[in-house]
Amino acid sequence: MRLKLSILIAKLAGTLSKRLLRKSGETIPGRVLLSLYSRAITILSQNRKIICVSGTNGKTSTTKAIVEIISKLGSVTTSPSGSNLDRGVATALMKKSEYAVLEVDELHLPRIISEAKPTAVLLLNLTRDQLHRMHEVKRVADKWAVAARNAPETIFVGDVDDPFVALTLNSAAQSLRVSFGGRKHLDGAVCPSCGVYLKWSRNNYKCPCGLTNSNPDELFEAGTAAYRNATLANVTGKLLGGKAIAINEQALERSVDRDYNGVKANLRLTKNPASWAEALHSVTGENVILIVNSREVDGIDTSWLWDISFTQLSGKRIIVCGERALDIAYRLHVEGIEAEITSNFDGAISKFAEGSFVHVLAAYTAFHELVSA
Amino acid sequence: MSQIRIIRIHNELLGTYGDQGNAEVLAFRAKFHGITTTITDVGYNDPLPTNGDIYLLGGAEDAAQLLSLEALQRGDNLNILHFAIERGAVILAVCAGFQIIGNKFWANGKEVGGLRLLDVHSVPGDKRLVGDIKTISTVLGFELTGFENHMGRTILGPTAQAFGKVITGNGNGDGKFDGAIFGNIFGTYMHGPILARNPELADLLLTRATGRKYAQITDPLALKYATWRRKVIK
Repeated sequence: MRLKLSILIAKLAGTLSKRLLRKSGETIPGRVLLSLYSRAITILSQNRKIICVSGTNGKTSTTKAIVEIISKLGSVTTSPSGSNLDRGVATALMKKSEYAVLEVDELHLPRIISEAKPTAVLLLNLTRDQLHRMHEVKRVADKWAVAARNAPETIFVGDVDDPFVALTLNSAAQSLRVSFGGRKHLDGAVCPSCGVYLKWSRNNYKCPCGLTNSNPDELFEAGTAAYRNATLANVTGKLLGGKAIAINEQALERSVDRDYNGVKANLRLTKNPASWAEALHSVTGENVILIVNSREVDGIDTSWLWDISFTQLSGKRIIVCGERALDIAYRLHVEGIEAEITSNFDGAISKFAEGSFVHVLAAYTAFHELVSA
Repeated sequence: MSQIRIIRIHNELLGTYGDQGNAEVLAFRAKFHGITTTITDVGYNDPLPTNGDIYLLGGAEDAAQLLSLEALQRGDNLNILHFAIERGAVILAVCAGFQIIGNKFWANGKEVGGLRLLDVHSVPGDKRLVGDIKTISTVLGFELTGFENHMGRTILGPTAQAFGKVITGNGNGDGKFDGAIFGNIFGTYMHGPILARNPELADLLLTRATGRKYAQITDPLALKYATWRRKVIK
């Protein structure tokens, strides 16, 4: 079937899904297009500049920041929010534009790189996440490294304080190595390049095989994940000729303020040990709701809750809910922290008096439900 | 014995799948019994403590598993484990750790010799086994739940006994049994961590380590959590 006809059918499918099924209509067109015309991503990527953003945490917000920078240079299409598999990419590419800024899932990245032949790929970080699907962190990094080796025309930008990102950049013909002065990595005990015990001195690593975060191309001061992602967005934008934008950390941390009948809530996305650690630092108030789910995108296993220390929440009023409320409640219990268990978010938020402020740390699916409500 | 030394072996290497929680649950349950505990983290370059009562190993990626094996074969470490077993210390080894204490296993595409503490050997399967698992422990007589995520197929030798009979999931790979036991050495593919989901097993390990019987603990939340997992995993 011809590409133009396939796009027409795919768009129709999207409209029908939106009208009849009341779905977002974001992944259906891409899915239909790819089934009708498997080379669609390759063809639709021609004659435009593509930027891919991938990593465990920060993809969506960093993609948005790059879109903001690039939109001053020309027309831009981007992935529908959070839809980062091949179908989301295909949906985005159906719109004509000079630039496309694509958020890409870690496991889908190699395919997208080989088909879309991006101008630049930004790699934010790689840590343990959804291991039922990723299986092993190193497995994902190895796939990235092969993809980078096979893409000599693409420049790879990344935070080399993360050894897995450094491995990928080392495999690329063109790279821009960014460092924030080094930082500890939960999965950094083994050199992903040669397999020996990785030597760290404070926050920096240096392996005899050559893998290191020293001698970066650009060095910035240390900061929060949101600040790092904004900086990386600016570095990538500059490569394409864009002007740096001011760093708005709150916009980049996937946190949203909401009011529930006079209870002020700050909702924050927490989906793996690294994002939980980051979010727990931001909890300054006395009231907390924790929501843990275990659907496919949340990770169907909850063992990783034991990688996180929740002692920072000690002494606060904590209410837990979600499908895996008991898992988080018991994890807290063993750390000597008692939480109230409720069956859902409405029940949890109604326990707080009007005028109070609550931190809500929510699993991926719960965060999206709350934000879109 | 009023104090128990829990030794968490190479958590920096064997901590990928949340198994470090096993040490915390042991310490937490021990408190109910009036036992004080210490948790010692042993790093890759550290010698193993000689006087541990419970030694724990967790799940890992291949390269990390090989580094842990190498470190445990270094210096006196293996002798220390042999002596510990002789004086009745407990070993709980999960997933990659379970394979390490066996006779041989595969990692990074090649076969390597293990510590030979448990009469099992592991080979790679053709497909990764990922999902909830429920067994009934043949030796202990109660149900266990957890989460498995591995490529390994583990075959038991004549002196090892299966840890659990599989109700749901795959376990050692044939869908019939999970893990292995010999004396106070326990091997399993169950994450969760296994002691968080099955607090009775934590109590049993404490009993085995001290040789004492303890009164039943009342911890409604632990019971509720364990019971719920056993119910939802059909």
